[in-house]
Amino acid sequence: MMGRPVLYGVRHLSPAMAFHLRQALDAHRPALVLVEGPSDLNDQMHWLCHPETRFPAAILAYTKAPPVRTILYPLAVYSPELQAILWAHEHGVECRFMDLPSGTMLALEEGSEPLEDEEEPEENTEWVYRRLEEVTGEGHDTFWERKFEQIGDWQTCRKAANTFGAQLRAAAQDGKRRTAQTLVREAYMKRVIGQAVDQGTPPEKIFCVCGAFHVPGLQENTPMTDEEEAALPQADCAATLMPYSYYRLSSRSGYGAGNKAPAYFELLWDALHREGLSGLPSRYLAHLAEAHRKAGNLVSSAEVIEGVRLAQTLCAMRGSRYPCLADLRDAAVTTMGHGNFSELAAAVAATEIGSGIGALPEGVSRTSVQEDFYRQLKELRLEKYRGLERQQLDLDLRERLHVKDQQTALLDLRRSFFLHRLRVLGIHFAAPLPSRQEGANWGEYWDLRWTPEVEIEVVESSLLGDTIEGAAAFALKERGEASTSIGEAAGIFQDAFLCGMPAAARHALSVLQALSVDAAALTEVAETAGRLSLVVRYGDLRRFDAAPVVPLLQQLFLRACLTLEEACQCDAKAAPGVTAAMDHLDRLQLSHDCLEGERWLELLSCVSDRDDLNTLCSGFAMAILLERGAVEEALLAREVARRLSPGVPADLGAGWFEGLAGKNRYALIARLSLWRHLDDYLSALDDGQFRRALVFLRRAFAGFGPSEKNDIAENLGEIWGVNQNQAAEVLMGALTQTEQEALKDLDDFDFDDI
Amino acid sequence: MSEKNVQRLPAEALYQRELDALIAAEQDPVPTGWRMSPRSALTYLIGGASVKGVEITPKYIGSRRLVEIAIATLVTDRALLLIGEPGTAKSWLSEHLAAAVNGDSTKVVQGTAGTTEEQIRYSWNYAMLIAKGPSPEAMVKSPVYRAMETGSIARIEEISRCASEVQDALISILSEKRLSVPELGMEVPAAKGFSVIATANTRDKGVNDMSAALKRRFNIVVLPTPSDLETELEIVRTRVEQLSAGLDLNASLPDSGTVEQVVTIFRELRGGSTLDGKQKLKTTSGVLSTAEAISLLANSMALAGSFGSGVISAADLAAGLQGAVVKDEESDKISWKEYLENVMKKRGSGWLPLYQACRELNG
Repeated sequence: MMGRPVLYGVRHLSPAMAFHLRQALDAHRPALVLVEGPSDLNDQMHWLCHPETRFPAAILAYTKAPPVRTILYPLAVYSPELQAILWAHEHGVECRFMDLPSGTMLALEEGSEPLEDEEEPEENTEWVYRRLEEVTGEGHDTFWERKFEQIGDWQTCRKAANTFGAQLRAAAQDGKRRTAQTLVREAYMKRVIGQAVDQGTPPEKIFCVCGAFHVPGLQENTPMTDEEEAALPQADCAATLMPYSYYRLSSRSGYGAGNKAPAYFELLWDALHREGLSGLPSRYLAHLAEAHRKAGNLVSSAEVIEGVRLAQTLCAMRGSRYPCLADLRDAAVTTMGHGNFSELAAAVAATEIGSGIGALPEGVSRTSVQEDFYRQLKELRLEKYRGLERQQLDLDLRERLHVKDQQTALLDLRRSFFLHRLRVLGIHFAAPLPSRQEGANWGEYWDLRWTPEVEIEVVESSLLGDTIEGAAAFALKERGEASTSIGEAAGIFQDAFLCGMPAAARHALSVLQALSVDAAALTEVAETAGRLSLVVRYGDLRRFDAAPVVPLLQQLFLRACLTLEEACQCDAKAAPGVTAAMDHLDRLQLSHDCLEGERWLELLSCVSDRDDLNTLCSGFAMAILLERGAVEEALLAREVARRLSPGVPADLGAGWFEGLAGKNRYALIARLSLWRHLDDYLSALDDGQFRRALVFLRRAFAGFGPSEKNDIAENLGEIWGVNQNQAAEVLMGALTQTEQEALKDLDDFDFDDI
Repeated sequence: MSEKNVQRLPAEALYQRELDALIAAEQDPVPTGWRMSPRSALTYLIGGASVKGVEITPKYIGSRRLVEIAIATLVTDRALLLIGEPGTAKSWLSEHLAAAVNGDSTKVVQGTAGTTEEQIRYSWNYAMLIAKGPSPEAMVKSPVYRAMETGSIARIEEISRCASEVQDALISILSEKRLSVPELGMEVPAAKGFSVIATANTRDKGVNDMSAALKRRFNIVVLPTPSDLETELEIVRTRVEQLSAGLDLNASLPDSGTVEQVVTIFRELRGGSTLDGKQKLKTTSGVLSTAEAISLLANSMALAGSFGSGVISAADLAAGLQGAVVKDEESDKISWKEYLENVMKKRGSGWLPLYQACRELNG
């Protein structure tokens, strides 16, 4: 008589299931083990069995064309599927995956937008779990732990899981889409089993490990036919193994995708292999106590002992044999946490979730970008930063002169390139921190943290190129081609510069150049020129040849000069932006000899002279000229007299003065004649005009510091022939009541009639 | 003295029927010194079951898990410390736990600033002491002493109000489980089943902080204020019913609308915002506990029964609210007036009578 294949139903990520599964395998001694998992990824199995592989790890399948879609099969050391694979490997038994190929799974996921007329029925699997919680008064994880994790032998365990799966299947009425997907998968799995039988493996020697939910389906449904198999959709995809983390496992709730307390489950797994479940309470509570102590708290052994006793009593009240996580945690809160969970929260997270991350041996089938990523991590000595803890990295970009070879001398610079390339690729491994030391352009500060998401992002960037550098170059190129403003293009250029990629920088530069032909606002041009200037000035530090940048910088500077006059014809609101741009341009000119100084000064005098421009801008132009020493004393005296003459409306005059005071105040303060003019001007004003002027002058002087005010006092004292201290007293003293009232009136000053 | 004339019966007398039924129906093993199994004790406290035809009423409405932890603590012969805001049913839970475990909730030491060490250990009948010298007969045993002798539970109320030397006296009792009487040259060992349930008030923090050594000897359970409106409504309704049955108030029970109004006001003023979370409110100095809401309603019933129509009117309620909300501080009065104008007034016709009555009291 023909036997039947063994269908062993499990729950994913269940330590007890994994433990008993191995015993069941020992008892059955199958010739072939089939595991629920994508059947095209059998070649990943030997890496899972590699002695250097550390779990958790995940099989990641991803589509090759954008938008990238992925499916993940996370595996922890206590995953029944993994243990089945390992058992087969250890016993020299053949092992294969039997579920739909990953490409089909991806295609099915994509094509399965819920139908419009379809409503999710109320009785789906989530609903069943919810009902379970209502009935038992505990979370369904706790329910599972009490009822299934504590089973003592594999026969009972198998029976219990299969019963649970069958009843769950009967109770849940999933939506059409999910039901259809389940049925397709089961038909496929059954087909794989059938094929194995056809190939000559006796049916009773085949051992199938699948979710308990699928066992009834595999028993009853018919296998998929050849035509049906041929009709399965297929997405172009590739797969890789990636390290996973317990944190990630715990944050993904939902059946199969994760569990809330992976580190605790590992404890459970360990306990099963040593003293059995009776040892779990002391293991858990001792771990918890240690974590709590590490955080600087006092925990006595007596409290741990009391915790174990309390947990045992608690579970007895719930009628289970061994305490489950909920009992243990409540006991710990009561005995160690003084009744407050918050006291223990950090220690609980460390004990239940933990910071475990997986690792893969070298040579594991990765995408080339992954290879490159890990190779560079090693080469740049960044491997120790590949942890879940946030770590800070300080870089000094200067060449180190006392080391042997060029490679080490520029290690930090190369690190900086690498981290910037990751940033450009949107790989969240490193985040730049603001510079701490004012003006120290050779310092760079980064925050490094590895998460499984980083791995996925690295895999995703394999679409862009074969190496990190290649992918970054492609990303920059794409961004460059999509940019529409010179600001954007300059940003890309700067990124390319920071990444140390001259070719990409050249491309960005050409884009920038093309865009700069079109009109752009003065402020934007000035800012862009400022960015380029940074590159020209500090290019050496990053071993960047800035020569190609200079012509563009000149071009932009010229453009700014040509548009400046026009820009100065603006209202009071826009004027501060224009003066800021002027300041920017002035500094540019000062730092680069290649920019025409003569033209710049000429332009400034022109702005300063013209009466029809915004007076703030004119005043500011004068201030720059003054600072440069390009104004003769007589000219200044004439200008002041002209701008502040009685005929000129008070707001224009004072606005000009505000502009003049906007830069290099010492140059102003040092010129006594200027203050005499101001004094004369103010005395000549009538009351109404004075009030207007006062509004502007108050604003102009608001930015002066106490010592500057003191110096002004000195000037005024000399002009008025009074003691300097007396003048200072008047200037610096608190306002009197009447003065304050007068000023208050000014607040209501009506500017409409200006 | 007949039981009828007692103002307040101890829990074990009040719920004797339920306790008896649970004991009679016992199926699980009973720990030494206990009258029923831990599971029956749990049923007694959280209720909701019918045993041998006797309906078990819920005594503690709230987290079942907390009650489980409390009972489990007593099973492991550890001392239990219940901590919480005033009016979170600490003493209530402690009394019923003792009633369920021993059928005797009366071995109580009330912690005050004046509590002495003798009240925890033992003192003497001085006339006899002088006449006959130290002898067991001349000894006046404290509730804790008696509990140790009989292997039952002693209750200590408001432990954090006791001076620290009094608290310290407990340490040796709880760790050694024996009490020495040097005058008689003897030691009293605690019989199996002895334990202590203490309660402490979070508002008393810092009055006499418990030492780490003492805290370590307790399993601590923090009792929260009711988690949501529904739970609190249920607590208030049940307790008002029970109270009025015992007190002959001659008034009908408050309708559900009235209870909801009181509980809503209390929760909102306690939490510092309206229930929908849309409006921030000034909190008041009082605790506004669930227990206060219960006594307020009972009080209003007494007012209505004695001086009114027998049905709680808005005016009866307003008088009670005034007293509960406005403690002697001026700021309470302002908070309360603001609440009246900003929240209550805008709540529509259902709240109008109460608003007007409160308004009248506040001028």
